[in-house]
Amino acid sequence: MTQPEPAIRDALLAAVPSLRAFAISLCGQVDRADDLVQDTLLRALSHIDRFERGTNLNAWLFTILRNLFHSEYRKRRREVEDPDGSYAGRLRVQPEQGSRLDFEDFRAALAKLPPDQREALLLVGASGFSYEEAANICGCAVGTIKSRVNRARSRLAALLAVEGVEDLGPDQMTRAALQATG
Amino acid sequence: MISDRRKGAAKLMPKADLSDDLSDRGGAEPTLDRAIQDRIGTHLRAMYDDLVNQPVPDRFAELLGRLDRGEKEGRR
Repeated sequence: MTQPEPAIRDALLAAVPSLRAFAISLCGQVDRADDLVQDTLLRALSHIDRFERGTNLNAWLFTILRNLFHSEYRKRRREVEDPDGSYAGRLRVQPEQGSRLDFEDFRAALAKLPPDQREALLLVGASGFSYEEAANICGCAVGTIKSRVNRARSRLAALLAVEGVEDLGPDQMTRAALQATG
Repeated sequence: MISDRRKGAAKLMPKADLSDDLSDRGGAEPTLDRAIQDRIGTHLRAMYDDLVNQPVPDRFAELLGRLDRGEKEGRR
C-alpha cells in the first residue's frame, strides 16, 4: 500500500464522522459500522490513484463504503435480512455516548424501511448529497433515487404516525396536512 | 388501520413532486405533504447529526498515522 500524503490522510480523517454516521445508520451496529469505515479507509488508500482530484472525496468514500456494505450484506444475508427483527433490535441499543435526544422511535422506523429506500433517504435527507450525487453513489438513475426517497418519506410518515412519535403523531400530521393545503 | 388517514392525506396532497418518476412509484404511495416532509427531514437530520457528533474512536487516527509512518511527522 502506498503511504498517504498528509493532505489525503487529513481529508480521510475529516471524513470519518460522516462515514461513521452513514455506516451506523446503514447497518445498525456501531462495531460493524466501525469495521466498515476502517475497510473503507483502507480501500480508499489502496485505490487512491483512482480518485479524481478535484471531485468530491466524500462522495467517493461513501461509494466505497456503500459497496462494501452491500457485498458484506450479500454474504451475511441470512443474518441481516429481517426488516423488522434484529436490525431494529440492534439499532435500539446502539448509541451509548449520551444521546441527548430520544431518537429511538425514529431509528426503529428507519430500520423498517427497505435497505434501498433507507440508503437513498440517508444520502439525500441526512448526508446532504444531491440527488445526482446519491445516484452516482448508488449506481442508479436519478429518478430511481427520487422515487426511493419519496417512498421512504411516505413510509416513515406512516410508521411514525402509527407508532405515535410525539411531534409526528397522527393529530399533528393531520393538522399539518390541513394547514398546508388551507 | 392507516387507510383512513392515508386516503385523507392523498386527497389533500398537492401535486408538487408528481413529476418524479411516477413509473417506479406505481401510484401506490402518495406524495407527502410538504409540512410532513419537513418534519421528517428535520427529525432525520437531528438524529443523523447526533451520530456525526459522536466521538470518533482513536483507531482511525491510529490507522492513518500508522500508514503514514515513514513520512514526516507532526502535521495533523
